[in-house]
Amino acid sequence: MSWYHLQGKCADTVISTRVRLARNIVGYPFVSKLDSAGAGEIIEKVGSTLEPSGFRKINFSDISPIMATSFVERHYVSPEFSLQESPHALLLQEQNGVAVMVCEEDHLRVQCILAGFAPEEAYQNASEIEKRLDEEFDFAYEEALGYLTQCPTNLGTGLRVSVMMFLPALSRAGSMNSLAAQLSKIGLAVRGLFGENSASAGCMYQISNQVTLGVSESETLCMMNEAISQISEKEKLARAAIVGEAQERLQDHILRSEGILRYALFLTSSELIRLLSDVRLGIALGYVKDISYEQLNTLLVEAMPATLTLSSESTPKTESARDKLRAVKVQSVLHPKG
Amino acid sequence: MLCEKCKKRTATVFYNENLNGKLRSFSLCGECAAKLQKRGDIQDITSMMDSFADPFSDLQEALFHGFFGIRAPKSQSAGKKCPACGTSYQEIAERARVGCPVCYKTFQDELSGLIQSVHGVGTHTGKIPSRHQAKQERKRLLQEKKKALVQAVDGENYERAAILRDEIRQLENEQEKEAN
Ligand SMILES: [Zn+2]
Ligand SMILES: [Zn+2]
Repeated sequence: MSWYHLQGKCADTVISTRVRLARNIVGYPFVSKLDSAGAGEIIEKVGSTLEPSGFRKINFSDISPIMATSFVERHYVSPEFSLQESPHALLLQEQNGVAVMVCEEDHLRVQCILAGFAPEEAYQNASEIEKRLDEEFDFAYEEALGYLTQCPTNLGTGLRVSVMMFLPALSRAGSMNSLAAQLSKIGLAVRGLFGENSASAGCMYQISNQVTLGVSESETLCMMNEAISQISEKEKLARAAIVGEAQERLQDHILRSEGILRYALFLTSSELIRLLSDVRLGIALGYVKDISYEQLNTLLVEAMPATLTLSSESTPKTESARDKLRAVKVQSVLHPKG
Repeated sequence: MLCEKCKKRTATVFYNENLNGKLRSFSLCGECAAKLQKRGDIQDITSMMDSFADPFSDLQEALFHGFFGIRAPKSQSAGKKCPACGTSYQEIAERARVGCPVCYKTFQDELSGLIQSVHGVGTHTGKIPSRHQAKQERKRLLQEKKKALVQAVDGENYERAAILRDEIRQLENEQEKEAN
């Protein structure tokens, strides 16, 4: 079971929560100055520390580009990591959502990704693995600056909490700009597409903390908790306002999307993202009955190009063949046989 | 930080775009982002999920390249190199990456403005690596015992002073061992 097969808490406004801890090992230069031998040593040692506790080691130099991209689509690694040329590896424990990127931007990036809103749980999972690594390695640290990282933006706790939110009503109301400006005042950043094109990105926004130095782990988690609940509340109010204005029009729009999702024979990935977002709103408002948030999360990952291609027996040769395969995938997730 | 387009408003839109394996990243204010999207200068990223990466990886270069007008005074860092990894500040600024943990000490003055512009003036609070917990505890004990030693000698309590001296020696030995 992977995070994207679940719905988690607050699935009407939150898609997933990711926590990551940046760590570096004393005795080696940071990654951009690290030679292959050093990287190899670190990968080897991290592997032997974590493999006994059920982690799978994936050496990225051994896998195909499409497999690497699929790890990006499943949110276990960053796009940069998948394209990197120097030695790098992933240690993955899928059932807990823990993914350790070795030799990405820092020697170690211990991450945990979970469905829905779960900052504490994700932090606990990541922290437990970080502790095991702490017993094995001497982490670069200095009293005033905290954990030393390749880029000063991560100094201190090295903790970044990122929450992927689903905010269709706020973005439709044109409130994202002012929301982002407010959040930046308290040290939070919003990443996503604003304005007219927001629908093309499924109205998904990533909210994360910026400051990592001078703020403890628990303070960061607390601040994120507070901010995310407030944004969720705002989004729900905005939804109520839209429903109040044009309930039938909205319902019509959503049910049309549901129809296309269920019955189309070809679907591009951008169309799919738009449909999934309409249907997610439909579930939240009670218009769509027989589709679950779990199914939407599954499709958000498994119907993306690389993961989709990997799951099929023969590689689709054309764009159109892939779009057809995507529609088949959607139907198999929405109407599982037996 | 400021929008990279208008350099006036605060950047609130950060994202990566993955075009045929080439990454581009943006830090824009909402207005500029909307304008660029409209003109098609920014491709619709088919998958917003692609950019579920570190939201600040794109901030780094902007930071180092003087977004905040903070550049190391040339005279101060000219010719200086990190004793551990040989990196110069020039190189750090160009690559937008610090070379190694020791660089933070070597270029403490050069980096401090940049660190403050991101994090403010706070110092670290929160988790400490286990090895440092022991180190910090030993440091504290050592100070305590040295103080006690002075008092013992002042009070002509030589027996106690001898014990303290042994304890201090042992702590210092441990410290040395760890440093090697
Ligand atoms: Zn601007
Ligand atoms: Zn250095």
